[in-house]
Amino acid sequence: MSHLKLALLLVSNLALAAVPVGCSDKPAKPPPLKELLVKKVTADLSKAEPGAAYWRDAGGGEVTLIAQPMIAPRPEKVTTSSLLVQAVHDGKQVAFRLRWKDPERSEAGRLGEFSDALALEFPLADGPLPPVMMGAPGMPVHLFHWRAQYQRDKEKGKPAVADLYPNMSIDMYPLEFKGAKGGTEAEAEAFSPGRAAGNPQAYSKTGVDEIVAEGFSTSSVMEGHGSQAHGDWKDGEWSLVIVRPLAIEGGSTLKPGQKGNIAFAVWQGGQGEVGSRKSLTMVWTPVSVQ
Amino acid sequence: MSKVKNWQLGREVEYPYDESRPKRQWAIVFDLNKCIACQTCTLACKTTWTSGKGQEYMFWNNVETKPWGGYPLAWDLRILEKLGRQDWGKNGEYLGKTLVEAAPPTERVLHFAPSDEDWMYPNVGEDDCAGAPVDGGGHVQKLPHDKWMFYLPRTCAHCTYPACLAACPRKAIYKREEDGIVLIDQTRCKGYGECVRACPYKKSMYNPYTRVSEKCVGCYPAVEEGIQPQCVVNCIGKIRVMGFINPPWKARDDNPVDYLVHKKKIALPYYPQLGLEPNIYYIPPVHADPEYLRQMFGPHVDEAIAAYKQLLEDPVAAGLLCLMGSTDRIMHRFEVQKGEAIGYDAAGTELVRVPVTEHVYERAAFDDKLGAVRHNTP
Repeated sequence: MSHLKLALLLVSNLALAAVPVGCSDKPAKPPPLKELLVKKVTADLSKAEPGAAYWRDAGGGEVTLIAQPMIAPRPEKVTTSSLLVQAVHDGKQVAFRLRWKDPERSEAGRLGEFSDALALEFPLADGPLPPVMMGAPGMPVHLFHWRAQYQRDKEKGKPAVADLYPNMSIDMYPLEFKGAKGGTEAEAEAFSPGRAAGNPQAYSKTGVDEIVAEGFSTSSVMEGHGSQAHGDWKDGEWSLVIVRPLAIEGGSTLKPGQKGNIAFAVWQGGQGEVGSRKSLTMVWTPVSVQ
Repeated sequence: MSKVKNWQLGREVEYPYDESRPKRQWAIVFDLNKCIACQTCTLACKTTWTSGKGQEYMFWNNVETKPWGGYPLAWDLRILEKLGRQDWGKNGEYLGKTLVEAAPPTERVLHFAPSDEDWMYPNVGEDDCAGAPVDGGGHVQKLPHDKWMFYLPRTCAHCTYPACLAACPRKAIYKREEDGIVLIDQTRCKGYGECVRACPYKKSMYNPYTRVSEKCVGCYPAVEEGIQPQCVVNCIGKIRVMGFINPPWKARDDNPVDYLVHKKKIALPYYPQLGLEPNIYYIPPVHADPEYLRQMFGPHVDEAIAAYKQLLEDPVAAGLLCLMGSTDRIMHRFEVQKGEAIGYDAAGTELVRVPVTEHVYERAAFDDKLGAVRHNTP
């Protein structure tokens, strides 16, 4: 490239950069999120509504994510590098709106299909901050894990095998063949090990799982506290709201007028992300509740 | 990363956890010269364990035709190709890398992920012959045959160093101390599929109905009662025996599995170069292509076949082969005396007694009393 061309290119780039944001059709690039201010609103937050009017003035900002770097298996490169975060509360519930780019909607189902997902992380108890990645023994973290797959469960019911494999052929299932008297639910579940063992994964989900963890490989689903979630995917972007109680007895608690901490993780199911294959924030983001 | 002893490779290998051998190690020996791919084992397993929803195409035990068959499709070719060169030294030590050693920094185990469709043809390639076109016929009078195939029955190998266990980020997979059986904790698994990717033998399978992964459980409820697994006791060809294998430094000559693997060295692990110390052992087929067998069973396969051909001259070994399939119970000890092979349980109680050579009765072709021709149809 000649020096002249290079100079022209530099000038044109500078000129583009100098265009005031307000003159563009595109929304202003959100500021990096240094502290998440949870605004008090008077709206009803009992439902998760990504399109609600109160989000317009909710503030918030952008957090940067990187590919999970600590333990294998991990992604080779980051798939979700940026997440837009907003939060409001009504004195009882706190709602988080999260938006990120994802070129395809993925809900999992068949082997090798994984779900788009997002998790919010909070320190489970007061005291010294736990390590941001899954906590540590004696320093638990409290996670709210939404999956598009769980949302589909809630909206359409957990898919049957015939929903996932419409052309699949089977002679008969135990207790369900013609003339069979059937059996009790417990007898039927004996043929589905995950269900018989009571694994929450094998049952229909309500949209968001509450999870407790004390370090890598320790996360376990805990009894929920009425959290809600709803995500809309449109034009290559998820817009998701997770609503949780401000105060949870025996769990993470945010108090009006006080500070807290939050961290984030995002999975792009279409890119094969699941478990430790994810994008995440490497530091706690301070939270200030209005 | 720990260094652990892998006797099948004659060296230490890398593994994410320390060496921790179980008190007993579940193992099956298969005589591939006897398998006829009747799939009775497959059905015995399927009706016992995988008849439920989401298990429609799930076969913890399968029998595939080698070299062309594979469930899932081309599982062996695809991992071998990924692993690259697999050379053995002159003393039988493995010079290449294992799956754990060859893993990129972002993974725990070198793997390939089979697609959903790869599992949908469990008996693909059945009876397909290798070696040359068979249009013009073939000669099978000499060994090995120039046109060949053989049947390979497969269960989970309940490896000493399981790749599935190494790969699970939730630590939902464990190896039982009492018998070495490897299980997926059905309460902890979240269906990430890491074990499905990582197991090179592809014996972890995903259940899309329960959304968790499942695998061969080694029929542990039977094993706990001293009974061999369903695939073993239902084998009509009597090609299998299940027992407990010791590492070579603790091998006992009167232990049936130790005897076949360590003493006579006629039963070999398959694809030992993957580095997992698998615990299903095969008496290799005498007629198949030696190059192929060396790739599958390692550098000792020629000696194993030579030893197998000499078995008739060894009443102890011949007696043990007669004990295979002769009792449902697990034999912890055996002996051959006065032309009889005898199997014992853990307490030393006799389980079974069989003649090493079957008695032969000769009868006249015509029965004068009944005025009828005798024949062998029962």
